[in-house]
Amino acid sequence: MVIRRARSILLACVLPLATQAARAQGSSVALDVDARAIGLVTRATHTPGDRTLTEGYLTQPIMDASLRAGWLRAIGMLNLEGATLRRGELDAGAWGEGYVDRRHPHAYLHELVVGTEARSGALAGSIYGGRGFVPFGSDDPMARPFVSYPVDHHLAQIIERLMVVAAARAGPVTVEAATFGGDEPVDPSTLPLARRMGDSWSLRATLTGKQLPLILGGAELAASYANVKSPEYREGKGLDQRKAHLGLRFEDDGGLFARYALVELARTTDVDRGRDLYTFEAALAEGALCRDDVGAALRWERSDRPEEERLLDLFRTARPATDVSILGVTRWTTLTGAVSLPALRVDLLHAAPFVEVARATADRTSAAIFDPVRVYGSRVMWRLVGGIRIAAGRSPHGRMGRYGVASDSFGEAAPTPHHTHRAMNRCFS
Amino acid sequence: MTQPRPLVPRALTLLSLAFLVGCLDSTTGTIARASCALSGGGASSGTTAIVVDGCGLVDSRYTAEVAVRDSTAYTTTWGFRSAQGNFVAIWNVTGPQPTLVDSVLVSGASTLGDVAVTGDGKLLIVATERTNGSLVVFDLTNPRRPTQLSRLATPETFNGVHTAEVGRIAGHLYAILAVDALSTGPAPESKIVIVDLADPTNPRQVFVKSVPSTAPFVHDTFLRDGLLFVALWNLGIEIWDVGGGGHGGSPSAPVVLGRLATIGGDAHNIWWLHDAASGSRYAFVGEEGGPAQVGLSSTGDIHVLDVSDLTAPREVAFYHVPGAGTHNFSVDETSGVLYAAYYNAGVRALDVRGDLGTCTSTQQVTTGSVTRCDLRAMGREIGRGLADGTPPVYVWGVQLSGGALYASDMLNGLWKLQTVR
Repeated sequence: MVIRRARSILLACVLPLATQAARAQGSSVALDVDARAIGLVTRATHTPGDRTLTEGYLTQPIMDASLRAGWLRAIGMLNLEGATLRRGELDAGAWGEGYVDRRHPHAYLHELVVGTEARSGALAGSIYGGRGFVPFGSDDPMARPFVSYPVDHHLAQIIERLMVVAAARAGPVTVEAATFGGDEPVDPSTLPLARRMGDSWSLRATLTGKQLPLILGGAELAASYANVKSPEYREGKGLDQRKAHLGLRFEDDGGLFARYALVELARTTDVDRGRDLYTFEAALAEGALCRDDVGAALRWERSDRPEEERLLDLFRTARPATDVSILGVTRWTTLTGAVSLPALRVDLLHAAPFVEVARATADRTSAAIFDPVRVYGSRVMWRLVGGIRIAAGRSPHGRMGRYGVASDSFGEAAPTPHHTHRAMNRCFS
Repeated sequence: MTQPRPLVPRALTLLSLAFLVGCLDSTTGTIARASCALSGGGASSGTTAIVVDGCGLVDSRYTAEVAVRDSTAYTTTWGFRSAQGNFVAIWNVTGPQPTLVDSVLVSGASTLGDVAVTGDGKLLIVATERTNGSLVVFDLTNPRRPTQLSRLATPETFNGVHTAEVGRIAGHLYAILAVDALSTGPAPESKIVIVDLADPTNPRQVFVKSVPSTAPFVHDTFLRDGLLFVALWNLGIEIWDVGGGGHGGSPSAPVVLGRLATIGGDAHNIWWLHDAASGSRYAFVGEEGGPAQVGLSSTGDIHVLDVSDLTAPREVAFYHVPGAGTHNFSVDETSGVLYAAYYNAGVRALDVRGDLGTCTSTQQVTTGSVTRCDLRAMGREIGRGLADGTPPVYVWGVQLSGGALYASDMLNGLWKLQTVR
């Protein structure tokens, strides 16, 4: 009953737009739209207060669209987690935006950027502006094979910022530079402060292996750096962050199996008026194999998390903090396995069941007061997630975080929302 | 042609193996327990050891501030340990070892940051921090059984009340609240709120001022003789006339007399000293800097300001403890001794009598254009307590009462110590 209703709603939303898209492709205007959501049930042991919790959510309910009209490009995404995921999604180790051990809901206006691209000989360039993904770190976790977010989300991505990003591409090398507002969202509906625009910047250089198969074997090597002004204190006078990231990504669509892998290192340093205070590091490796609709994925991660004073709701922390101290740094080691099962396809609807299992351990890195055993009752936690990915539309969801000439789809005839994440679309989207 | 092996069984096998490997770790968790077992009786090398008389344990929660009146002490609780910081512990401190006799639970609170007893001993004031912040007023007709008279929670206190200073201005009782910043609150800025407590059953907010976002916090204030000293973090301190400064200020309309950006900022707390020798010349400012990991490490000096001209305070001296930072003060003005809570370094006692701004060149340190005297080099440090590191301590507050010194320790509870003079 629920699935039938969801299908009806999705079809009602997407089919007219998809039809419009098909018509539009005959002209100089091309519009592509898709939508998806994930219904899931999570059971997590040793949550804060040493409770075992079982909860159900509609997570990552999004609609995204890509428009190409002459020289103009536009990309947008609505994320309805503010309505469906207000309490956050159980995820041991997750943190950020006032949530802890629950992944926070994202902004309703997750992304809305406009831009243009140009090519001159071997050099291509693009410029985009709006609210979106800052060129830093790896793809958004929403575009990767796991439903559960990694602990390093706030170390390895900078999202939902007001920004302008310029990119240049020559052969296998792409360089992106952005200026943006450092303030992270305070809640799903509040827009970034316009006056913060330009107080932060980032750079990312990417070496794409497609053109250098002998060197990188088809992989993509990316290094990025960001200077973020007061992300947690909206007024702009809190701690700043210096962030660095190095990632090696591989994706191969050919052969019997589609294959995907990512290895990344991330580091963030909190800075008070130019003085380094705390440094948090992360290492992550994940991979997936996929054949038709069936896939398996595995992720290992070791990430530092700053601990802050918890509120009456133990899944929340105060933002901003009342001073510059922290309660310690916890090192989270998480192993997550995921299996995606054969999908049901009807018309433009696609529904794929999946299962994820995660084992997380939390270790103190010092004798500061945050003691995982006190808070969780154990340093080892398990999480079991089962659910269905539902998608509708012409184009499945792709990579997130690269625009214009920095995207995989640059130069392709047909537009796609973001970049095509071809291999993993078959079984993890 | 070879048939490919089915993917799912192979993937599941790989996943199982990976999980097996991932589970092969043997570290076990250990819980840090509160302890009163001092190594060497609390003595420390160097300056005089402050003798420890006894300790009362609190293990379920982190202890915060302390207030003492006669034979009863009150300590608040902070954050989440095994339970929320939502109770005020009530101690009998008649003997050498504080004895927990009762507690008061404050509903809807996760942190009770501050506690104070009015000068007449009739009221107990408790600040509730974090969202739905408030000021709770208790009647102390029976000091061991406080009964709640009122609770003030307004849009201006919503972000959380970090500290509540209580005192009299022109005979009227007031509470000065330092309210947190909160990005998601209706009024995000940190602010000062002045509350009229003339009728303690009906506290009345008479003044609100947001602090500049460049501060960006206010943590504490000090009220004396109709002057209010405000610690404005990165902006240093301000001195307000709230009724005793002779510039027409009042609790509902304070007048700023002077301000000073202290070196390093992070101005957290203040004590304006009235000393027989130096008069009311000096104010001491606690710097609560970073990096600091609560329970383990801290940063920040004591800054000595010459406030003989209230409109133009200047910094003349400092006291630094390597590897530790200061928090709250209590001063024995009769004996001229300032006791400072020093988090992981325990308690320090400083001789603050006489001229603090005159010293030899070898006792001077110049920072930028400001030359200050180093109180340590001047031999002004006269006592250390709870400084051995065993058990680890994280001393939040100190209070002198009845000839004894009380120290609230986040990790262990309440210590009773002897004074150095």
